[in-house]
Amino acid sequence: MQRTRFKRQILALFFIVSLIPALTVAAIWYLDAQVGGSGRYELDIKTFVLPIFILGIGPALLLSLAFAELLARPVRRIHAAALELARGNYKTHFQTGGAGEFKEIGAALDRVAGQLERTISETASETALIEAERNKLRGVLNSMTDGVFALDRGGRIILFNKAASEITGRSIEEVAGQLAEKVMPFRDGGELVMARWLATQGGVDHQIGQWRGLELYRADGASLYVDVQAVVLSQDPNGINALVTFHDLTKSHQLEEMKIDFVALAAHELRTPLTEIKGYLDILQHEAKGLKAADKRLLDRTMESATQLSGLVNNLLNVARIEHGEINYQPLTVDFLAFIEEFSRSVEWRFKDEGRTLKLSLPARLPLIVGDPNGLREVMTNLIDNALAHTQPKLGIVTIAVRAHRTEIEVSLSDNGSGMPASALPRLFTKFYRIDEYKATTRGTGLGLYISKSIIEAHGGEIWAESVEGMGSTFSFRLPIPKIAPKLKPSNNKAKDTRGAHGWIKDNTVR
Amino acid sequence: MAGSKTILFVEDDKPISEMYARVLEREGYTVDFAYNGTDGLNLATNKAYDLILLDIMMPEMNGIEVLRRLRGDDGHGHTETKIVILTNLAQDKTSQEALKAQADGYIIKADIVPSQLAGLISELI
Repeated sequence: MQRTRFKRQILALFFIVSLIPALTVAAIWYLDAQVGGSGRYELDIKTFVLPIFILGIGPALLLSLAFAELLARPVRRIHAAALELARGNYKTHFQTGGAGEFKEIGAALDRVAGQLERTISETASETALIEAERNKLRGVLNSMTDGVFALDRGGRIILFNKAASEITGRSIEEVAGQLAEKVMPFRDGGELVMARWLATQGGVDHQIGQWRGLELYRADGASLYVDVQAVVLSQDPNGINALVTFHDLTKSHQLEEMKIDFVALAAHELRTPLTEIKGYLDILQHEAKGLKAADKRLLDRTMESATQLSGLVNNLLNVARIEHGEINYQPLTVDFLAFIEEFSRSVEWRFKDEGRTLKLSLPARLPLIVGDPNGLREVMTNLIDNALAHTQPKLGIVTIAVRAHRTEIEVSLSDNGSGMPASALPRLFTKFYRIDEYKATTRGTGLGLYISKSIIEAHGGEIWAESVEGMGSTFSFRLPIPKIAPKLKPSNNKAKDTRGAHGWIKDNTVR
Repeated sequence: MAGSKTILFVEDDKPISEMYARVLEREGYTVDFAYNGTDGLNLATNKAYDLILLDIMMPEMNGIEVLRRLRGDDGHGHTETKIVILTNLAQDKTSQEALKAQADGYIIKADIVPSQLAGLISELI
């Protein structure tokens, strides 16, 4: 402050001093003009005025130069600082040290520069943060074992993670901007199904589409199985319209195969001792002489249990095969009327045994269907097993009814047994499900209906149950009638039943 | 009823062989035994049988291989002999292999008791 005032005084002094020659000249000229008329004060310009002028103008010139320098210095400093600022040095000081306005301008520019510096450093740290987030996200996406890609509104790929690239065998550069259905071909046109789904879901936010076990073709022509899930993100500000993830099933397929092999091996190991238990029981039943009726019943019960155990082993194996999609039903032309008559004859003794009744309600004629007699027999056996377990000896009545509709035949098996609580119906056909209320009184593995459902569905049909608790249950299934009527080959229905899901005997007459 | 029909039973598990033999002999069949695949093949090539019952999992040569050798490359050898696989292996692929190799049947031991087997045999031969 002190210094500023001093500078201001010096400036004023210089100014006054520089005015002296000018004032002197002006005074002389004025006096000369006044006396010009009388001639008393006539002065010689050459001898007096000029030297004074020259003497005056020199310091004035110097003074004004000094003054100009005084003015220019802060301007130069501002200029230099501005250049520094332009070079990106935001720490530059505009503090000119000049007087008055320059000082204020300098201070104002300093403030601007400071503001600029703060804004820029804030932006830089935000950018670093965004960069870090982006790296994190990229890291997460690329360390995922599931393939992930994103599509824009046009169905073009705008994001493709490492796993996606590894699974499909296509690089990110290869697929970026491409239509997903062009670079991700599936067997049977699965990619088109997905593209169509995405197109129809446009605008329906967070809609999820799932496709299981699709066969994806890799870039090298090999194929693998994947589960695919797509989520619609129509409101996404980044232009992502859908996010698709896909999971490589190759490993779980291999595990599944190991499981099947293990179950098959375990079943084999269990079957060997079972064969002997059942075999010797059978020999005893046929050969043991002089057994009391009560002893005979013990033998029968032991045989029943052994048979149940081998049924369980078969069912476990069947479930493993069903889940692996490995079960092969041999489609044959089936005369279902003949089939059901033969079947009911084969199970009649099980009804008579404890005084239950089996009734048939069959139409006079029925169109031929296509099916696997062994599979259908397994379904019927499972349903009969259930009906027998839930009806009372002597009172139990089971009715098998067959009807033909236009495009399908309907088979229903009704009993007057204990029925089921309504709460049991939805889960009836799921694996290992057993109704709590009956666990204590009936035996079973909870697999029969699950297997039956798989068999009926493999035939293109459906199966369902109705029940009133305390009144009885009705199990029904429908099987489609082929559009082109099949012909019955003579050997078809003669395949002998070995009462097992997997055994067979070739027709005796045809070979 | 079955007269003097002959059966070759190829099975490495002796108790199982004995068990079936008891019932088959009771039913009047003549039963020869082999306890491995090679012996079974030798017996079958030297003597004509009405039926050969073949286990699959056996030492030296498995039942499917015995079946293939008996039926020959064209699948038409030993046409007079019925050959039935009697096993506890239930994989579809083995069942299909047996069918392809011209077996007359594929029976799961645990699913059938000896008297039922005898019934099936009486219909087959």
